Amino acid sequence: MAASMEGLEIQPEISNNYKSDSLLRLAGRRFFRQRSALIGMIILGTLIFVAIFASQIAPYDPNQVLIDIEDITQRQDPCIHLLGCPKDQAQHIMGIDGNFRDEFSRVIHGTRVSLFIGFTTVGLAIVAGTLIGAVSGYAGGWVDNIIMRLMDVILAFPSFLLAIAIITVLGRGLQNALYAIAIVYTPQFARVVRASVLSVKEKEFVSASRALGAGSFRLLFIRILPNAIAPLIVTGTLGIASAILEAAALSFLGLGAQPPLSEWGTMLGTDRNQVFSAPHLVFYPGISIMITVLAFNLLGDGLRDALDPRLANKASK
Amino acid sequence: MRKSTLLKLLTFGLLLSLMLVACGNGDETEAAATTAPDEGDGEEFVGTSVSAESCDYGGKILSIEAVDELTVVFTLCSPDPAFPGKAAFTPFGILPAEFIAATGGTGDILEQPVGTGPYMVSDWVRGESVTYTRFDDYWGDAPAAETVVLRWNAESAARLLELQAGTADMVTLVSKDDFQAIEDDPNLQLIPVPNPNIFYIGFTNTFAPWDNVDVRRAVGMGIDRQRIVDNFYPPGSEVASHFTPCSIPNGCAGDEWYEFDLEAANALLDDAGFPRDENGVRFTTSIYFRDVVRVYLPQAPIVAVEIQTQLLENLGIDAEVVEMESGEFITESGNGRLDGLHLLGWGADYPHVTNFLDFHFGRIGTQFGDSYPDVYEQLEAGAQIGDEAAAQSIYEAANNAIRELLPMVPIAHGTAADAALASLGGAYTPPFGATQFMYLDPGDDTLVYVQNAEPIGLWCADMTDGESLRPCQQVVETLLEYGQDSGEVHGELATSCTSNDDGSVWTCALRSGVLFHDGSSFDANDVVASWAVGLDMANPSHVGSTGDFFYFGYLWDSFINAED
Repeated sequence: MAASMEGLEIQPEISNNYKSDSLLRLAGRRFFRQRSALIGMIILGTLIFVAIFASQIAPYDPNQVLIDIEDITQRQDPCIHLLGCPKDQAQHIMGIDGNFRDEFSRVIHGTRVSLFIGFTTVGLAIVAGTLIGAVSGYAGGWVDNIIMRLMDVILAFPSFLLAIAIITVLGRGLQNALYAIAIVYTPQFARVVRASVLSVKEKEFVSASRALGAGSFRLLFIRILPNAIAPLIVTGTLGIASAILEAAALSFLGLGAQPPLSEWGTMLGTDRNQVFSAPHLVFYPGISIMITVLAFNLLGDGLRDALDPRLANKASK
Repeated sequence: MRKSTLLKLLTFGLLLSLMLVACGNGDETEAAATTAPDEGDGEEFVGTSVSAESCDYGGKILSIEAVDELTVVFTLCSPDPAFPGKAAFTPFGILPAEFIAATGGTGDILEQPVGTGPYMVSDWVRGESVTYTRFDDYWGDAPAAETVVLRWNAESAARLLELQAGTADMVTLVSKDDFQAIEDDPNLQLIPVPNPNIFYIGFTNTFAPWDNVDVRRAVGMGIDRQRIVDNFYPPGSEVASHFTPCSIPNGCAGDEWYEFDLEAANALLDDAGFPRDENGVRFTTSIYFRDVVRVYLPQAPIVAVEIQTQLLENLGIDAEVVEMESGEFITESGNGRLDGLHLLGWGADYPHVTNFLDFHFGRIGTQFGDSYPDVYEQLEAGAQIGDEAAAQSIYEAANNAIRELLPMVPIAHGTAADAALASLGGAYTPPFGATQFMYLDPGDDTLVYVQNAEPIGLWCADMTDGESLRPCQQVVETLLEYGQDSGEVHGELATSCTSNDDGSVWTCALRSGVLFHDGSSFDANDVVASWAVGLDMANPSHVGSTGDFFYFGYLWDSFINAED
């Protein structure tokens, strides 16, 4: 992924704004021409809507235990009135979990948690990776060598195992899982940014700025970075999908989100042994993870195709 | 010269005759020792022993002596009516003295122990299975299956799947949600696990606020235990009225546990100086647990969240649920290093009240912080009385003291079930000890048994977890054994163990004609060696895989030659 991004370059920021707008408009047009990307965007939009309005959509508090409140049983099957469930029975469209809580409400609130995890981890990784990659690419020489070899060392570890190792040191919990995933993802972004910076810093407009007396800080952060950041959008979008998957896997193992937080991976892990007796408790969190990851992947692929002129040309042929 | 030579020969002959006569007219023990060859090589039997210098070391065993080839005498420092029950426990299995010495307490003894049991370990593929082969010279009835394959899987659903697929004959601990499906399946049978047990919430009184008995009492009154049992335990489980189940004599002596009383519980917390803040929270704490399936706690994460919910809703205690790795959890909780509540339980090792109370509330216990003299002094007195009726008043006082001081809150006595193919003959799970593979008849040559986890080691003496004790119990036998359906103790390698009047000296008569898997004969010295290696810390073979020899220290109070 990162390799294909390295060749990507965006026209420099120039005073002729209409040209820049045209490029953006062109990319936008290319993006909206792709059905899969549109589907991804629609799903993601829906997920974001669900996450924002989770409290309004969910019929119950995700942590509310319904023992002595409703006549239900542990891990009760879904009850949907429209599908023939008796009207005198409380409706729980995704059933009841092991702690007598409404599964649908927990899945809905889980959307909020999962999106938060995805955006936060990738956000942290992008910030750290951008700084590291920019400094490395701009400084070059031994600074670049040391930083990139360090990134290579991190990349040499299987990312999930490295995340587990970091959590072992930091301790269990969602916050530490976020840090662990962010650390694991940082080198990817650092490499992408470094490659872009290496390319952009040789451009004429950078040389011109330097000739006009711009300092290193201004050159790097005002001239180079804004023009090297585009590949990050694609890598970041795809990275969110992976981050959500890894966070769910960590929570499944009991290393990430802790009870009673309604996180999909935790929900899967808690009821993994009920796969035969109460499959709905595994199915709904699982399918939620799948849909979310799919949405980010479709969107990421669409963005890549839209922002990469070479792919766009191929597509138009 | 010839005369003097003849005289010498006559003198030598006379002395030899006198020696033989002396041996023949000696006491009965010596006679047995001299006439019975050791290990079949014609040598005289020389009994060995292990002993402490005195009872000052704090342990219960003063000496173990092989008085003849088939008699062992255990001399205790104080009467112990529970001796037979303890001696039947798997860690006290008997191995050949020579084998123990040859291994030095490590190596083969950890993975391929030699015993007298119906099965021999033929192969242990780490991470996969342990394979047993039938021991053809076994002294008892021959096992039905020629080969046994022991496998493991941590997930109950996966174990059940193995059974349904027919790739296993019997599996341990199925989920309570699967009980009905198993009972409805004509190809399967559900096998209740009748092991007496207790699940409790423990406090460590060296951490605030659990150093305040009123706070502990508030939790004791403010948790709806009936709700937990009704909703999270299999049918047949019951709310604990006492720490020890009532099926154990004197377990239920004394007053029953507190009724669920929210008003009183909250008043206690108010008076103890823990008012609610604007969010209704009095203080924060942690609930520590491990995610393993046990008879006393079949759904640990679920019950942990339920207790978390009840603490917040009922008492305003905001608790974080903290899952710990099993080994770390046992170590930390056992040493009293957990600053919050810990969810733990106990399954009976042997059918005596001391197994429940003395381990948890004894003088040297650290699990609940500083031990409680009002409790352990009663327990020390009770442990020396063999007559259950005579000990009742003492255990009443002990149980009432536990109720007053609340080192923990007893929640439930759980039930659980194993499952087997309907075609498996003799399928059972005993109340004490583990299922003996020799009684299971798969109808063909190979029995496949799937348990929760891989054994840590197969030398029972140094093991504590059920997943290790079960596999080594198939290989190594004890002096006594528990019944298949009760806690009644009867002879295994000993035909009997009888005591003197006060229960301080136990004499065990051993079974003759028993062979070990290596072909050597079983005798009293093997008993001494097998006990000495665990009990005596100075024994050169006191090594093991963990080196803890936990049950020797715990059931007999201390080790001989213990390091400071």
